[in-house]
Amino acid sequence: MSISVSGFEKTFQYAQMFKEGMLCTVYLSLFTVILGFMLALVLAVMRMSNFRPLRFLAMTPDGHMREEGFLAFVSRFNPISFVATVYVEVIRATPMLVQLFIVYQVVFDKDVINLPSVTVLGFLKLNRFLPGVVALALNSGAYLSEIIRAGIQSVDGGQTEAARSLGLGQGQTMRFIVLPQAIKNILPAIANEFVTIIKESAITYTIGVADLMAAVKAAQAGTFLVLEPLLVVAALYFCLTFPTSKIIAYFERRMRRGDRR
Amino acid sequence: MATADNLIQVIDLKKYYNHGAIKALDGITVDIRKGDVMVVIGPSGSGKSTFLRSLNLMEMPTGGAILFDEVDITKKKVRNEAGKMVKLDIDKHRQKMGMVFQHFNLFPHMTILGNMTLAPIQVKHMPKAEAEEKARKLLDRVGLADRADAYPIQLSGGQKQRVAIVRALMMEPEVMLFDEPTSALDPEMVGEVLDVMKELAQEGMTMVVVTHEMGFAREVGNRVLFMADGRLLEQGTPADIFEHPQHPRLKDFLSKVL
Repeated sequence: MSISVSGFEKTFQYAQMFKEGMLCTVYLSLFTVILGFMLALVLAVMRMSNFRPLRFLAMTPDGHMREEGFLAFVSRFNPISFVATVYVEVIRATPMLVQLFIVYQVVFDKDVINLPSVTVLGFLKLNRFLPGVVALALNSGAYLSEIIRAGIQSVDGGQTEAARSLGLGQGQTMRFIVLPQAIKNILPAIANEFVTIIKESAITYTIGVADLMAAVKAAQAGTFLVLEPLLVVAALYFCLTFPTSKIIAYFERRMRRGDRR
Repeated sequence: MATADNLIQVIDLKKYYNHGAIKALDGITVDIRKGDVMVVIGPSGSGKSTFLRSLNLMEMPTGGAILFDEVDITKKKVRNEAGKMVKLDIDKHRQKMGMVFQHFNLFPHMTILGNMTLAPIQVKHMPKAEAEEKARKLLDRVGLADRADAYPIQLSGGQKQRVAIVRALMMEPEVMLFDEPTSALDPEMVGEVLDVMKELAQEGMTMVVVTHEMGFAREVGNRVLFMADGRLLEQGTPADIFEHPQHPRLKDFLSKVL
């Protein structure tokens, strides 16, 4: 297999497809990040919730709470947290490709949720694009929620105590004290996840989303070239992921202001 | 019963862990009057920090009552002026109780000014300019006027604790709770923090101070509580406690720390 200038020239005849593919990948990642982040926040809150409807089981007749034994164990059961935990563990333990096919072939099947075959924003086929976004968001939400939860729990408890002692409510404490510090701690991990989303979005070409990978397939089929379209798409993915991690690294440095000596 | 100058009444306060196997607080009853400078002393593990932290419900007591301005703040619901049972808003009561922690707990992502103005702006809806002016005045009083725009990490321990004190004062609390405010400080910085506290006491602020600084207890306190094993074993004026200790545990404790 050889690499040639003419090969690239032929590949560039598909520039329009690469351009649309790149935009598609950008939209795909963007919507996934937004949806995934919202899902992650919900999951993180669910997992950290303190909802224990069976608490009364641990109550002794004289009004004390049992600390040990089966009843105390059952009384600590938190259904909200349990559901979120099961979701996160299942998502993390199954292949992305399987999740994508379940979403596309089962959930967005004609008999379940029938999406109209319309084109949005000029080139995005809704009935392919939306299942792709949903599958990616369901997946990354599980990973992001673990990152967020770890970040929130990494903030020193004294910070919460100080805020509450000043009269700030639970929500205000979260918003002004805990989350800003948590986000600072988890920004590198979030950047990593965002980059992963951009790269993993390539998998959606298997359900016919016209993203960058679809452009490669088209260029390869039209030119009988293998290597050049792949090199072009690798470069394009790099152009997306590298600035993303650099931009987040910039924000991370800015947020470290308070730590400087 | 409650008299006008009783700010906080603590009645048979209990805090148990492990189903009563550990009694951090085992029935504390004490009245805190307006203008009191109450110093709580005792060996470590005696429950004095738990007692202080219970006063603004940083620790939820297992039993007993804390009447703050004659409202039992340990109850989930209280009777309001109209006689209706309403949910107790603990945040409202915490605004009236400033707290200073052993480890300062300044917010590292905010400037000193940001630390001080956050609660007045968000909770009391004070205009930003007014809050900043007030903060600068308070900073000036503790000799830190030029550090308003610094971040906590740029300050020494003593400076941080002085900021923590004025941050609490921004909310104009009726009582200040100090949880070992000088224990995490280098020895040469203890004095500057104690000076601020002394000044505050002289201005008539009601204070509850958990400390190992016996000099402060003697000089500034008007009441001293001695706690051991979650119980209040002796209380009195500094002269009573330090010159004429009665309880053998107190005598033993004083012989070790003085």
